[in-house]
Amino acid sequence: MTMSLHPEKTHLPLLDLSKWCKLPAVLMVVGGLLSVVGLAISPTEFGFSWLLAFMFYYSIALGALFLVMVHHLTDAGWSVGIRRFCEHLASLLFPWLAILFLPIAIFAKHIYSWLQESPATNNLIAAKLPVFTYSGFIIASAIFFGIWWLLTSQLSRWSLKQDETGAAECTYKMRFYSGWGIVAFALTLSASGVLWMKALQYQWFSAMYGVYFFSGCAWIGLATVYVIGVILLRQGVLSAVLKENYFYFIGVLLLAFTLFSSYTEFAQYFVVWNANMPTETFWYLIRENGNWWWLSMILIAGKFFVPFFVLLPVSVKTNFKVIIPVCVLIWAMHAADLAFNIFPALHNDGYPLKWIWLPVGCLMFMGGFLGKVFLKKFNSHPPFPQRDPRLLEAMGVNANVVNDLVDAKGGVR
Amino acid sequence: MSGKLYGIMAQFDSPGAVLHAAGKVRDAGYHRWDVFSPFPIYGLDKVMGLKNSLVGWVSLLMGGCAFMSVVGLIWFSNAFDYPLLVGGKPMFSVPMTFVPAYIMLIMGGAVGALIGMLALNQLPRLHHPLLDKKHFELASRDKFILVIGATDKKFCVKETKQLLEAIGGVHVEIVEDID
Repeated sequence: MTMSLHPEKTHLPLLDLSKWCKLPAVLMVVGGLLSVVGLAISPTEFGFSWLLAFMFYYSIALGALFLVMVHHLTDAGWSVGIRRFCEHLASLLFPWLAILFLPIAIFAKHIYSWLQESPATNNLIAAKLPVFTYSGFIIASAIFFGIWWLLTSQLSRWSLKQDETGAAECTYKMRFYSGWGIVAFALTLSASGVLWMKALQYQWFSAMYGVYFFSGCAWIGLATVYVIGVILLRQGVLSAVLKENYFYFIGVLLLAFTLFSSYTEFAQYFVVWNANMPTETFWYLIRENGNWWWLSMILIAGKFFVPFFVLLPVSVKTNFKVIIPVCVLIWAMHAADLAFNIFPALHNDGYPLKWIWLPVGCLMFMGGFLGKVFLKKFNSHPPFPQRDPRLLEAMGVNANVVNDLVDAKGGVR
Repeated sequence: MSGKLYGIMAQFDSPGAVLHAAGKVRDAGYHRWDVFSPFPIYGLDKVMGLKNSLVGWVSLLMGGCAFMSVVGLIWFSNAFDYPLLVGGKPMFSVPMTFVPAYIMLIMGGAVGALIGMLALNQLPRLHHPLLDKKHFELASRDKFILVIGATDKKFCVKETKQLLEAIGGVHVEIVEDID
């Protein structure tokens, strides 16, 4: 009965990434230079590109936080192995992503058009007044980061404490924070998506926007977790706690969120299309201009049809050679989707491709910076929860069998 | 009391024994054989070398046909046979077909899964040769039955019987299809 779940993998040499250890620093330097050049040429263009890169990594961290909280809420066994690096990804939210938010706060006047108009003459701004001022924007953003700080720091703290004490209390504490946390998560995520991204075109309304942003976060979070999981498995770091069927579970969730995020995006479009009101349709009409049209066609194929049909067969979900490219596609498509949301507010007639180096530079800089922080966090703590009550289950040890064996030897525990 | 030869069945006492036996039968090169157990045995499908069922493809095909037929119906009725202008929308456009077509996709997929499952199971049927055997009832109680079908290319009454006895099967019996 003791069948090796991945016999072919045991023969593979361990993955050696030592050649790549300078990559984050290189990304930071090159990306940082491109960002500074962009900032010097056009603060507006820089602000939008920085916002795109920020929202990209912000959604990865939120997706990881979602997985951690769902793990505690469902009392899951299998996801113990991936939980620690998910906690690290989530705790990038504070202070690191908050620091990366500073340029957006500083250049907010170049990014958000409602900061340049007067509420006295614009009813749409007046209606949103407590928030739609510069101080309101800063206070709201501070509240969002405050909630992320509370949730991520507490979930990490109790998880690390359990490594030392092994106490059941830690599990109960983490469940407590996940319990009210998932509600705070839903509200904060929606509010931040609306304030930072949708408010670029504050004249538009969509009740679907929060759900739509959430589905994207969970989608890209799962893709990132899958890739990191495979790398750590191949390095032999997590091979004790990651089994083939756990990758199957992540793959199933990835398929589910491929469907869900396409569903929310389509539902948002369909409601606007069906109601046919000029106050709403303008948002999509802008996105049919110039190359935005082609980007929307790429999104339909790349966000739904390709990943959906590739992920559909059962056996493919554990085939790393297929899923890793799909995860890379998901990263690209999520970035493209964010660009589709953010940039048309600045470039109504299509994206000028001569500027493409600037969002790429911002993405490189933040990727390098956050990658460095993540690696430092990962290296300074045990790679998976050491004394989680569900750890044996995650390792594939049947707890009932263990209890039977112990009882047979005279009830020694 | 003689009929067409159906196969040979053997009884095992534990899931471990039948799992071990299944590995031996697979290694012996048999293809048309099955294991009957009162409860699911973890890993048995891999030991038996079972592939995923084809039901998913039947479901996908039926679902796809249902989806396209609704798109076609809406085009035919709204844009071709009796063009009807509703709310200033085009006579035919993709978003407007999507919701009803999607509902029928689910319907077609579910019906396809049901039909595919019944077709591949060869169900419903009134009787099965194995049900003639007294010992077979134990497969729904506390025993594990392994059956090698006579339609297997490697099947040979004497050798197959010897194999089943050698791998620890008890009550090795020939099963006949009595009409």
